Amino acid sequence: MRALERARADYPLSLHGVGLGLGSADGVDRGHLARVKQAIARFEPALVSEHACWGHSGGEFFNDLLPLPYTDEAVELLARQVGEAQDALGRRLLIENVSAYVAFEHSRLHEWEFLAAVAQESGCGLLLDVNNVYVSSKNLGLDALAFIEGLPVGTVAEIHVAGHARNGAVLVDDHGSHVCEEVWQLYCHATGRFGALPTLIEWDTNIPALSTLVAESQRADRMLGKLRGLAA
Amino acid sequence: MASLRELQASFAAALRDESATCAVLPRENLSIYRNNAAINFRSALASSFPVLRRRVGDDYFRQLAMRYRQRHPSRSGDLHWVGTGFAAFLAEELQGTEYAWLADLARLEWSREEAAVTMTHAAISVDALARFAPEQLEHLVFSLQPSLRLHASDFPIFSIWTANQVDNAPPVDQSMAGECGMVLIRIDGVEVRRLEARVFSYLSALAAGAPLGEAVSIAGLDQPALVHALAFVFQEALVCAVTLKVGQSAH
Repeated sequence: MRALERARADYPLSLHGVGLGLGSADGVDRGHLARVKQAIARFEPALVSEHACWGHSGGEFFNDLLPLPYTDEAVELLARQVGEAQDALGRRLLIENVSAYVAFEHSRLHEWEFLAAVAQESGCGLLLDVNNVYVSSKNLGLDALAFIEGLPVGTVAEIHVAGHARNGAVLVDDHGSHVCEEVWQLYCHATGRFGALPTLIEWDTNIPALSTLVAESQRADRMLGKLRGLAA
Repeated sequence: MASLRELQASFAAALRDESATCAVLPRENLSIYRNNAAINFRSALASSFPVLRRRVGDDYFRQLAMRYRQRHPSRSGDLHWVGTGFAAFLAEELQGTEYAWLADLARLEWSREEAAVTMTHAAISVDALARFAPEQLEHLVFSLQPSLRLHASDFPIFSIWTANQVDNAPPVDQSMAGECGMVLIRIDGVEVRRLEARVFSYLSALAAGAPLGEAVSIAGLDQPALVHALAFVFQEALVCAVTLKVGQSAH
């Protein structure tokens, strides 16, 4: 906590949550929401984000980012609960697309249509995780470029990239290796569309030497620098 | 069409039981979520109980975590809390076996987790006692640091915990005498400290809300021991406030 306070003194923070279960039909975890509010008060982050997912049912928490069916009912519920969380926290949230390994047969919308509708109804922004787009597209046979093209410009306010693992035919989002070339290409495409946005390299398992992490971060910096140069 | 609540309930059922039906494709990929849930739970438990895991080994820890999760699934979006009932589970599970001491070790490790997320209050100095008359001293009640946890065990759990702060620690002889001590958050981390029995007894009485005089009787302290114990609680910044017991008039 004290280390984080020291970092906060010199850098803006992006507070990224995984536990609220904003898309859970049983409701948001209010105890956790109260603790997130305390963390926001203590660290005053520049950005606060969560996921377009659910995490608990029947009182049991799975502590994972579980996929939603992309239906009008789920848009309505997620938008309402994001709105409630934003009211409780006194902050605009950014909502992130998750990596998916299965899709509900009930889905009637594309994921990007679903996210755009949630943003429009709740007033939240979006956090685009480019690796998650890639992983889901490979696992479920979707078009990653169509996803990025489908999100409305102006709603995306932060980008994540990460490495993933391969488990047989399935790609698993594990944040444990280099960002792959295909994801960097999608990132280039995304920043071209949405602008030079704050970008996080997520690498929180198999954590490498700092120099490796810094090199990965510099690659994103160079791409953003070129973009800013073009805009200047 | 099934409601969102029904779809999530069927997904949850399929995570608990492979044979349950759930309208997702490809179905076999549900195993990834099933594994994630188990691994996330076990990893959180392992990070809360590192010494216990080191003592029992990965395989047995995995079995314990699986049985514990079946009976005590996660009840919060915050994984930090999954270990809340682990010590009580172990006490029940290992009762009467040669491993019963693991439950006490788990209690000690869990109190570190609790202390780690508890705020420190400003401590007061012994000078605060000067505003009370000498005859009032025995009726004073101390408020102690909210992160303070006190443990007494029939086993040498403080020695075991301390010895296992390094890799490949040799086993501590569990037949050694029982130990008592305290856990609390400090500016540079959580402190785990074995205490002398009478200081522990005195602190325990204070923590239970006993006035100073009563705590002295409970701990059986003579005058030199009392001076030592009082000096200890103030030097260690354990006292946050001092009040006169209700019913005693203020000076």
